[in-house]
Order: sequence, then structure tokens, then C-alpha cells
Amino acid sequence: MVVKLVYYGPALSGKTTNLLKLHDLLSREDRGDLMVLDTKDDRTIYFDLLPFFLVAPSGLKIKLKVFTVPGQVRHDATRKAVLQRADGVAFIADSQKAEAANNAESFENLEKNLAIVGLDIEKVPLVVQFNKRDLPEILPEEEIRRIWGPSGIPVQLASALEGWGVVETFRELVSRVYLALDHRYGLLANHRLDQHSFVDKLTTEVKR
Amino acid sequence: MTDQTYRESINFVVGEEKRLEEILSPAEIITLLDSAVRAGAGRVAVAGDKAEIIWSSGEISDRDEAEIRRPLRIEGEPLNSLVVFGDPGERERLEAISTLLQDSLQLMIDSNLKRLMTTELHTTVVNQSYGELLESHEKLAASEARYRNLAEDLEKIVEKRTAELKQAHAMLLQQEKMAAVGQLAAGMAHEINNPMGFIISNLNTLKKYTGRFQEMLADYRVAAAREGAGFTSRAAQLEEKWKKLNLDLILADLEELFHQTLGGCDRIKKIVADLKGFSHIDEGEAAVVDLNEEIDRTLAVLAHQTPPDSEIRRNYAELPGFRCNPALICQAFYCIIINAFQARPEGLRLEIDTLAQEKGIILRFTDNGPGIPANIISRIFDPFFTTREVGAGTGMGLATAYEIIHGVGGTIEAASEQGQGAVFTITLPRARN
Repeated sequence: MVVKLVYYGPALSGKTTNLLKLHDLLSREDRGDLMVLDTKDDRTIYFDLLPFFLVAPSGLKIKLKVFTVPGQVRHDATRKAVLQRADGVAFIADSQKAEAANNAESFENLEKNLAIVGLDIEKVPLVVQFNKRDLPEILPEEEIRRIWGPSGIPVQLASALEGWGVVETFRELVSRVYLALDHRYGLLANHRLDQHSFVDKLTTEVKR
Repeated sequence: MTDQTYRESINFVVGEEKRLEEILSPAEIITLLDSAVRAGAGRVAVAGDKAEIIWSSGEISDRDEAEIRRPLRIEGEPLNSLVVFGDPGERERLEAISTLLQDSLQLMIDSNLKRLMTTELHTTVVNQSYGELLESHEKLAASEARYRNLAEDLEKIVEKRTAELKQAHAMLLQQEKMAAVGQLAAGMAHEINNPMGFIISNLNTLKKYTGRFQEMLADYRVAAAREGAGFTSRAAQLEEKWKKLNLDLILADLEELFHQTLGGCDRIKKIVADLKGFSHIDEGEAAVVDLNEEIDRTLAVLAHQTPPDSEIRRNYAELPGFRCNPALICQAFYCIIINAFQARPEGLRLEIDTLAQEKGIILRFTDNGPGIPANIISRIFDPFFTTREVGAGTGMGLATAYEIIHGVGGTIEAASEQGQGAVFTITLPRARN
């Protein structure tokens, strides 16, 4: 079984940094290396890929592939291609006040592209991360909670650069993805894989 | 682009699982395996996840008992393995070969995979963009066609409207002309009728007076002949003078003179009345008329334009009253009759039949002119269409007749055979009262 997760969001919001940190923070066991595809001027133009492996008690092999998309408006076709058959999406927003419009535009773009590739935004496991909490001039937390609270979409605060909130976002995403997969394939009933061990196995941090 | 067509145009899914055989080509891998064999390995093979051999190089011999296995990873997953057989005595060298081979194979796998994924994504994006471009091109072509049609239609509509305007303008001019003629005719009729009244009255009185003079003169002559015996010479002189003045003939002619003059006056009166009636200047917009009378009126007005040696036969049936603007209907008859006059400058035979039928009132004008050629018969009612020289005809006559007849809910048709004359048939609805 191959599970596809996509890190979406506006340009320079820290999607690649999230993956780099995940790569650093999570256990190297059962995990592939980060594959960075043709990055130019620190900007992803294709995608970055981080694979994880997992075997259920039933023997079912599960491979988790985490992708990023390029955030620049002109790469919309690439975003659509990467978004194909996604099993879960993490939306990485930039907390800086000046970036609010870009966040909104990118989120609209996500909604539009999900519809185009035939995915229902109401059903796709989705989490939102407000990144760059280490910077000044950022949207206050209460404001974020007030705006996103009613949507029911879980919101995580993070500073990918400092390395906090990254694993939490990933954990939130995979636990939601588990629910969707379990609903579809019966992970617990057929493969004796429960949510707790699924999430733990994928988010084991390197001991420091 | 709809979701459906979009999904159909995507043939690749980025990140689809790849097998080692899809990532590496035999040509590049065999070269590496061969060089490992040359470096001292007995047999070198790459195996799949079920230990099946995919590629190999070298022959295994009895002494090659040592076997070294190394994993080969795809996206970090150790699905395949590298197997190196060799002499156990050379184990150290075999290890070194294995490490070298594993590292270079892994490097090759990683870079090939990266290239494959990049290419795949690129192809997807290009295909998709191409699809979108094709679609937007089609939309553009469609909208361009739509605008082109619109422009063409617009031209046609403008042409049509212009023609209609021109026609309406010409009709108006014609009607204005007729109205002016009518007004003039009415004015003239009034001016002529007044003196005509006392001319006729005086002539009648004069006729009566001269009758009395004649009577008295006859008495004088008888008396002179009887009583003037004594004055023979004087009586003879008077008789001489009578004969010299040719008074017998003059007296006989007086009757004829008065008859002719009064007849002429009657004709003047009738012409004036017809002119007035034709122009219908006294009447309002619409009235119930006898169409036979209106045709007669029109013929009377056209009397001076009737070609010499013409024979006009009127076969009138009794017609129900028809409600219309009499001035206009006369104008229509005028146009059709004058058309017949112009068709045959002499020896014209014009037959006018009127019929009251179930389907309506039929008015038929049959002439013995040259007829209308088949190739133009469909155009004779078109405004400005004329077969006469430029300046000789306006081309508005029959068009005006057509407009007027259609305006009262009727139809007008022309039928003709070359050299056999032409027939114009007007059909008017019965119940317009």
C-alpha cells in the first residue's frame, strides 16, 4: 500500500524546511532519504520527496511518501500533477501578517485543484500549520484560532526553522490519514494495525 | 476544462511505484557487472525481492563458495539485492568489489529515479498545459467564428435596413408627389368649376335667346316676302343679302354649335371631377369604396396618356364594398395601368376583369404587351428595379403598387410568357368592412 501525503502552501512558506526537519528529527529506521528534485534559488520547482515504511502485523507493507509542491503561482500545473490521488494534505501557511493574502490565495488554489483532481476537500484529511512563529509581525494565535476554529480543521503553530511544531503537524496529519485509511481498508479489522501504533511508528523521534 | 477531461488527459501519476527493471537499463548495469567480474569476482548478479536473478555476469565455478549479499534501495526501501560470488580466499577483495558495486549501483538508481520522476512530472505538466492550450484555442476559435458571423450578419442586417429605409423614403416621396398632385388638382378643380358653372348656364340661356331670334327672323322673312310686292327690288335685295350671308347654313349650324360646346363643357366638368375623385383630396383616411369606380376614375385621369388605337375592355362584376384609403388604392391601379400603357405604345388591348369570389375580390389586368422575361419576373416588384433607361423610370411604380396592395392585406402577382403579354392579378380580402 502506498500512501501519498502532500505539503501544500504559498511560495516560501517553509514546506521544504518542514520536510528537511522531519528528515532530521524522525528515526532513520524504516525511512528513506529525502529526495530533492531540481531546486533552483532555494525554490522548489518540481517537488521534494520523503518516504517512510511500515509493516502491519498482518504483513501488509505500507509505504508513506511525503511530497511538497512548488508554491509559485506559475507552477499550478505541477501542483495539480503532484496533488493527484493524495491521501492527505498539510497546508503550510506563513504566519507573517504581510503574507495573509498569499495564504488565502494559496488555500483557494488548493480547494480548486482538489476539485479538479477529483478530491473532496471535506473528506481529504487536512491539517493547517502556521509556520514562522519565530518571526516578528506575525498573526496572533487568538486571531488564528478565531478564524480557523469554526472550520474544524486542526491548526498547528510551528517554526520549521527552529524545528518545533513540525513533528506535531505531521503526527496530526498521519493520525487523520489513519482514520481515512482504516475506514476504507479496515486497517484494524483486517491488518490488526491500530491508530496508536501507526502514528507512533511513523513519528518516532531520534533520541538526542 | 471539466474534471472529467482533465482526468483523462493525465496519463501519469507522480510518484507511482517503480520496479528496478524500470529504473535501470540492462546496457548500463551489465557494463558495471562485467567490470566487477574482470576485477576478480566469480559471478555477480542483481536479484529481485523474491531472490530471482534479474541481471548477472560471469560463470560460477566450484571454488566460488563465498557469497556476499548487499541491499539495493528504491526510495529507501531495500527491495533488491546485489549478490557477489567468489573464491573464499579472496573475501577481502570480494568485499571491496561489493561495496564499490553497491555504491555505484545505488547512485545510479537514485539519480535515474530522480530523472524518471522529473521527466514524468514534466511530461504530465506539458501534456496538461498542451491540453489546456488546445482547449483555450478551440474556445478562441469558436468565439472568433461567433464574432465573424456576427460581423457578417451585421453587414447583412445593415444592408437590409438600408434598403428598407431607401424604399420607405422612395415610397414617401411618391406619396408626397401624389398628395401634391392631388392638392393641385383639387385647387384647380375648384377654380375651373366656378367659371364652368356660369359658362354652361350662360350658354344654355344664349341658346334659348338665339332660338327666339331665329323665330322672330323667320316671321320677318315671311312678312317681307308677302307684303313687300310693291317693293320687289327691296325684298329681292334682302333675299340677296340672306343668301350672301349664308344664313340658312348658319341657322342650321347653330344647333350643332351649341350641342358641341355644351358637350365640351360637360367633358371638362367630368375631367375635373375625376381628377378630384382620383386624388381623393376631400376624403378622410379610409372609406368603403366600389373598386370598379376607382378603376374608372384612374382610367379617366390617364385618358390623355392612353396610347393611340388602344382598346380598353372592362368586364366588371358587381363587387362588395372595400374599405381602404381610396387615394392609395387609385395610386396602385395607376401604377399597374400606366405600366401596361408603357409596355405597348400603340395597338394596346387592355382587359380589366373584376370578380367577387369566395376567397376574395380578384382584379385582373391583362395586356398584350411584350411580356416580362422569366429571369426578371421575380424582381419586378423590387424597389428601383426598372427595365427602362436610366432616368426614364424610377423603378418605383410596381413597388409602390405592391406596398399598397400588401398594406390593405391583399396580394399582387405577375404572370407572363415572353411575347404573350402580362397578367397582373390583385387579390383583396373580402371582409374588411
